Amino acid sequence: MARDPKHDILFEPIQIGPKTMKNRFYQIPHCNGFGSEKPLSQAYFRSTKAEGGYAAVSTEYCSISPESDDTHRMSARLWDDEDIKNLSLMCDMLHEYDCLAAAELWYGGSHAPCMETRCVPRAPSQIPSDFEYLTYAIEADKDDIRHLQQLYVEAAKRARTAGFDIVYVYGSHSYLPQQFLTPFYNKRTDEYGGSFENRARFWRETIEQVKEAVGDDCAIAVRMSTDMFMGDAGTQLKRDCLPFVELVDHLVDVWDINLSGIAEWGEDATPSRFYEQGRALPWQAAVKAISKKPVLGVGRWTDPDAMSDAINEGKLDIIATCRPSTSDPFLPKKIEEGRLDDIRECIGCNVCISRWEIGGPPLICTQNATAGEEYRRGWHPEEYAVAKNADNDVLVVGAGPAGMECALVLGKRGMRRVHLVEAEEDMGGTMRWIPQLPGLGEWARLVNYRKIQLDKLSNVEFIPSTTLSAKDVAEYGAEIVVVATGSYWATDGLNGASHDVIPGADASLAWQATPDQLMGEGKKLEGDRILVFDNDGYFMGVSISEMLALEGKKVTLMTPMGHIAPYMHFTLEAPNMHRRLHSLGVEIVTYHLPSRFDEGAVVATHVYDEHGHEQTWEADGVVLVSQRCSNERLFRALKDDIGLEALEAEGVQALYRIGDCEAPRLLADAVFSGHRLAREIDSPDPSLPLPFRRERRVVDPEFVANERAWREAVVAGTA
Amino acid sequence: MRTVVCVRQVRVLGDEVEFTDDGTDVDPDYFDLALNEWDAYAMEAGLRLRDAHGGEVVVVTCGEQESEAALRRCLAMGAGRGVRVEGVGGHDPVGVARALAEVVRDESPDLVLCGVQSSDSVNAATGTALAELLGLPCVAVVVDVEMGQGSARVHRELEGGLIDVVEVELPAVLTIQTGINEPRYANLRAIKQAEQVEIPVRTAPAAPSASRVRRMFAPDRGDGAEMLGTDPADVARRIAEIVKERVA
Repeated sequence: MARDPKHDILFEPIQIGPKTMKNRFYQIPHCNGFGSEKPLSQAYFRSTKAEGGYAAVSTEYCSISPESDDTHRMSARLWDDEDIKNLSLMCDMLHEYDCLAAAELWYGGSHAPCMETRCVPRAPSQIPSDFEYLTYAIEADKDDIRHLQQLYVEAAKRARTAGFDIVYVYGSHSYLPQQFLTPFYNKRTDEYGGSFENRARFWRETIEQVKEAVGDDCAIAVRMSTDMFMGDAGTQLKRDCLPFVELVDHLVDVWDINLSGIAEWGEDATPSRFYEQGRALPWQAAVKAISKKPVLGVGRWTDPDAMSDAINEGKLDIIATCRPSTSDPFLPKKIEEGRLDDIRECIGCNVCISRWEIGGPPLICTQNATAGEEYRRGWHPEEYAVAKNADNDVLVVGAGPAGMECALVLGKRGMRRVHLVEAEEDMGGTMRWIPQLPGLGEWARLVNYRKIQLDKLSNVEFIPSTTLSAKDVAEYGAEIVVVATGSYWATDGLNGASHDVIPGADASLAWQATPDQLMGEGKKLEGDRILVFDNDGYFMGVSISEMLALEGKKVTLMTPMGHIAPYMHFTLEAPNMHRRLHSLGVEIVTYHLPSRFDEGAVVATHVYDEHGHEQTWEADGVVLVSQRCSNERLFRALKDDIGLEALEAEGVQALYRIGDCEAPRLLADAVFSGHRLAREIDSPDPSLPLPFRRERRVVDPEFVANERAWREAVVAGTA
Repeated sequence: MRTVVCVRQVRVLGDEVEFTDDGTDVDPDYFDLALNEWDAYAMEAGLRLRDAHGGEVVVVTCGEQESEAALRRCLAMGAGRGVRVEGVGGHDPVGVARALAEVVRDESPDLVLCGVQSSDSVNAATGTALAELLGLPCVAVVVDVEMGQGSARVHRELEGGLIDVVEVELPAVLTIQTGINEPRYANLRAIKQAEQVEIPVRTAPAAPSASRVRRMFAPDRGDGAEMLGTDPADVARRIAEIVKERVA
């Protein structure tokens, strides 16, 4: 299929400094957990996007010096020749697809905790980080400033040597250049502080020096946050950013315009719960209006019409994506080929980002189970080898996220017949109702994408409204049976805080309910005062609370945890979630565990109260968001009651379970579970994941001898 | 009680369509084959009557080898026997009805069920033509069947949500509407067993086709289409006005 002419603009080349982008698709710098120290994972992750049609792909933030060390979080690094070697692999592989490589040169200033290097960062002023605990910087004097600028220049040269085409002088997210520009961080009274000209001086000089050093060979990109939403103290569009664009536009080859500081960077990496696609467009358009250089910007772009409009209306020149490029690295190619319903749209859950915020683990994606697995498991997001046992028929029981994904991948792997059987009348499992929670509508893309794709597979048949007994499954006629029956919310208050049930908790009573009952079964709680007990810690407890408050209930959200929904700190949803619950008048009670539920009252104690003083909250109804339990009844009946031998006599050669049915988990991990089994359905034992490639240093005798000699020399003072 | 269910393997088009070089058919690369949706409901209706009243369900289709998949799907659902008639098919509902009539005569069933229409040709003519050829009563667009002694009480769907309830002498031909039931699924074992069944093949009587395809093409997209709203009375009024304007 050919692309729609209205999207032609997205495929027009554009010049940025000495380089040409072949189209308008740009993968913005974003973290993936690979840095410079997992070079193959890094190179395959990025080059998959180049293969998918991206014209330029960037590293994540790339440290220019050991003084800028974000450990425990994982950045790329360009400190020395070995970093050059490792990152050059990424550049080479991007170039194989005629894709430009960008390096986002990063110095964290007061936000760099330097937990690995034990260096001390330098910053405009000595005020501890508002993002990182116990992190102070040296207040840079003039010599320090020269030193910092030289770090940028040397790193830019290393970037050029590595093969990067685009070099950033990165300020957004409250990093060093923008710390100088921003009164919140810059309290100086010398020529680097105070007036706009003075606050802009460090960044301007640095851009000049980097341009002078590598500008003939590399495009110079500047990433700037145009509003920190911090009032006068933060960077302001009109006061600071537009004047800065006018000041250095002649030095810059491409502007990368976004929003937010680091402490609330969910205003930039916007969760779909709070913001729609293209949120930053007014700010990007304001820069575009006065700059003579191309402007690129993020906006969680998934809709090619909106992308084309942004360019045609003169608001942007280049469509930058981070999360949508992870969710679908082949986004550009699918638009080019007119395959719009094949686009695996980002759902904006930010679970990818949660891994960076946690600090270190590779990113994961709810929509794209292959994200981060391109090298270490060898998975390609669009290619599926025919399974060696493709002459088998497979029965997948349960069409939730794991079951849908498993059936989809099994279908793509050419299994003879895949039957996806579901008790409810449609696919989705709990995802049939989760998107009905406030703000989560875009999460329905998880189901919609898979429904459309499954419908295209002639070897996969979806059978709705059918509950299979263990006997039905045994006699179904499948050689391979996959049980994906999901999980349910505990009805008795069982929870991970007390590792016990809660006296009085019983969701069969009219005044108590679980999320399954409220959302899936339509149960209603009478009365105005509802207490939501949450020990899940992610989106369910707060979403139910928000929903009930929107219905006019007086809601108390109680958790034994120190924060409500602590995992939403990692997904950047926490600040606005707090604001929303606060504005709705939801009473938040942390560090409290109910000791019993009585009709009309919840009795709870503070988790650190050694004497167990009890307090009572009046409540007409209670919602139990305590924990989930695997719905493994069918699996156990097959394995234990019928038994594997009897199953084999019926022709069932293999029995597996996936997703929440095995153990409740993140949606991303449930999808991964289904994907993993299908990818490895022809392995020696598909119930166990195949080992993945680990990028680690493996010692050999020569290496060890050298290192031991070096260490002895250091001890002896002769090194 | 013996019921003959007449089914068709239809072509299901994807998003994009190309035609064959001679311009008389859709390029086979651009469609999949499937049991016609209406016929799945007819099949289920037949199976339910058999389950309630005993007897057997015989399933018949017209078409070449690839049409066997539709028969095998019906056998997997529970049909007792299948018959395929070669040498006729495509877009000629009367030719198909003529071929089906020969099989139905030989089977002398109590009831003949067809789908209201096929999803690819959309003529809605085969069932009615079959009844005419057999000299049997026909009830079209059926949404419920209650069996009596030698007759059936049949609900047929009219426009505007109205239902017409009629008594019909058996044997009769009923064309079945979607939604009359929930067609049962066939499990993999039944599908595998159906794959092993020998299906007798007959040849259609030689007869001139009542229709022919001269050309297939995608009509040019015009402009200025006027949407007339959704209220039937308003739409009808507006159509009448337009016709009067044009005639004047």
